[in-house]
Amino acid sequence: MNALVQVTGLRKSFGDNEVLKGVDFEVERGEVVAIIGPSGSGKTTILRCINLLERPTGGRVEVDGRVVCEELGDGTMRFAERGDVREIREQVGMVFQRFNLFPHMTALDNITEAPKSVRGMSKEDANARARELLDSVGLGHKADAYPLQLSGGQQQRVAIARALAMEPALMLFDEVTSAVDPELAGEILMVMKRLAQQGMTMLVVTHEMSFAADVADRVLFIDHGVIVEQGQARDVLTAPQNPRTRAFLHAVLDRAPMAEDDESTAGAGEEAGFGGSDLFSERVATDPEAGPDDG
Amino acid sequence: MDWDVVWESVPLIWKGAGATVSMFAWALVIGTAGALALALMRLSAAKPLQWFAIGFGWLFRGIPLLILLFFAFFALPELGILLSPFLAAILGFSLWTAAYQAEVIRSGIIAVDPGQSEASEALGMTKAHYMRRIIFPQGLRIMVPPFTGNAITLLKQTSLATLVTVPEMALLTQRIFSNNFKFVEPIFVLGMIYLAMTSVLLIVSVAVERAVSLKV
Ligand SMILES: Nc1ncnc2c1ncn2[C@@H]1O[C@H](COP(=O)(O)OP(=O)(O)O)[C@@H](O)[C@H]1O
Ligand SMILES: [Mg+2]
Repeated sequence: MNALVQVTGLRKSFGDNEVLKGVDFEVERGEVVAIIGPSGSGKTTILRCINLLERPTGGRVEVDGRVVCEELGDGTMRFAERGDVREIREQVGMVFQRFNLFPHMTALDNITEAPKSVRGMSKEDANARARELLDSVGLGHKADAYPLQLSGGQQQRVAIARALAMEPALMLFDEVTSAVDPELAGEILMVMKRLAQQGMTMLVVTHEMSFAADVADRVLFIDHGVIVEQGQARDVLTAPQNPRTRAFLHAVLDRAPMAEDDESTAGAGEEAGFGGSDLFSERVATDPEAGPDDG
Repeated sequence: MDWDVVWESVPLIWKGAGATVSMFAWALVIGTAGALALALMRLSAAKPLQWFAIGFGWLFRGIPLLILLFFAFFALPELGILLSPFLAAILGFSLWTAAYQAEVIRSGIIAVDPGQSEASEALGMTKAHYMRRIIFPQGLRIMVPPFTGNAITLLKQTSLATLVTVPEMALLTQRIFSNNFKFVEPIFVLGMIYLAMTSVLLIVSVAVERAVSLKV
């Protein structure tokens, strides 16, 4: 079967500013792919081109066998029809850095709005499903809370539940922990990790290197609108080949990504602070609200 | 000030309150419907609609309301359209309201965080749906104060209908001038009635503002 997401030669310019300069990658079904890279390198733009929140200026994007956009022979772009775009978006859940919950609706209504209006679900079914989803992100007791009554970590978990309510085939995460207090990031990462374990296909822009090491199958490192390096998560994170990747990891981890002594990969990872499960679960464990079954 | 004259003036002037209030109410309803349409045209992707909305605002905010009333009452008959004073006034006031409230509605809509429409689009909602369910309710919070401000202005401006012979409160006040040669008292009464009416609008607007504000 084809990859769920196929991105070929993707380019995007804002005016004269070419932000993506030919990006190629695929995401297989059930795969978790992390995108890392410096701020302004084009990570968000890649995600937004996949569900056409941004209109690419070149290349081709295909999701689940549907052409989102493609460059024709004469260099012009052809985009999916409006109705197809909506169907593609139903298949692609997106979680934003700043949550973007609907502030005038309760957590429950945030989750049910799209299933009711887009998928024509009955109110009863939508509510029942929303309650299941809230339970699964540990917020069963917050169904009637408004977004502003919730912490950042809780809001982001509601946002994840909202996206999942459409039963997407693919989930896009755009630095979903960077607008919350660091001690609340763990509860979000926990939810994402479980989602990955359940087999969700995920494309995750993140600065959480431990999460990438722990959960991602593959990592793409992007800089100035090009994928500089990609490969198995552990290879890229612990033994980056490209000097730019190395410099970036050095900067975000505040120490050398590669262990000086040659221990096993896992050992090197842990030493560098992104060996995954240990650090990750520690972070989760320190948060009283993190568990999926609190409340 | 002669209080007996004040009390005598009240019922005489109050007889015009019905006309004042109904001109206000009709113009507010018709004008707001027009304003909503204009705001959506202005925000649509279609250039001709945008230009129409811009032109409308430019024209009807650019000339005095009095001229709109004169046009509707004195000029339209020459073009074969004969309106009663009351209808002519409502036409003029509605155009004025549409032009001003369109701006209020548009600013309310564009003040909503663009992340809201992006989240809606990412969920596959149609624009018509998320404008109605997501954007507009949030924009409402921003719209209420300037909207009420314009409504209060409209209520006061209905006194201009005197000049196209609508028997509203200001016209009846002038009748007292000419019949009784009393000025201070009727002017005082007229002012107090307008003040009471605008106060009611203010109270309503505070209540509406509260109702649409976010629960925290
Ligand atoms: N809507 C936009 N208009 C103009 N420039 C934009 C827009 N969105 C992003 N950019 C520019 O594109 C570049 C990449 O942005 P982005 O994809 O958000 O980077 P990242 O997510 O990696 O930090 C930045 O230089 C940014 O300023
Ligand atoms: Mg970004």
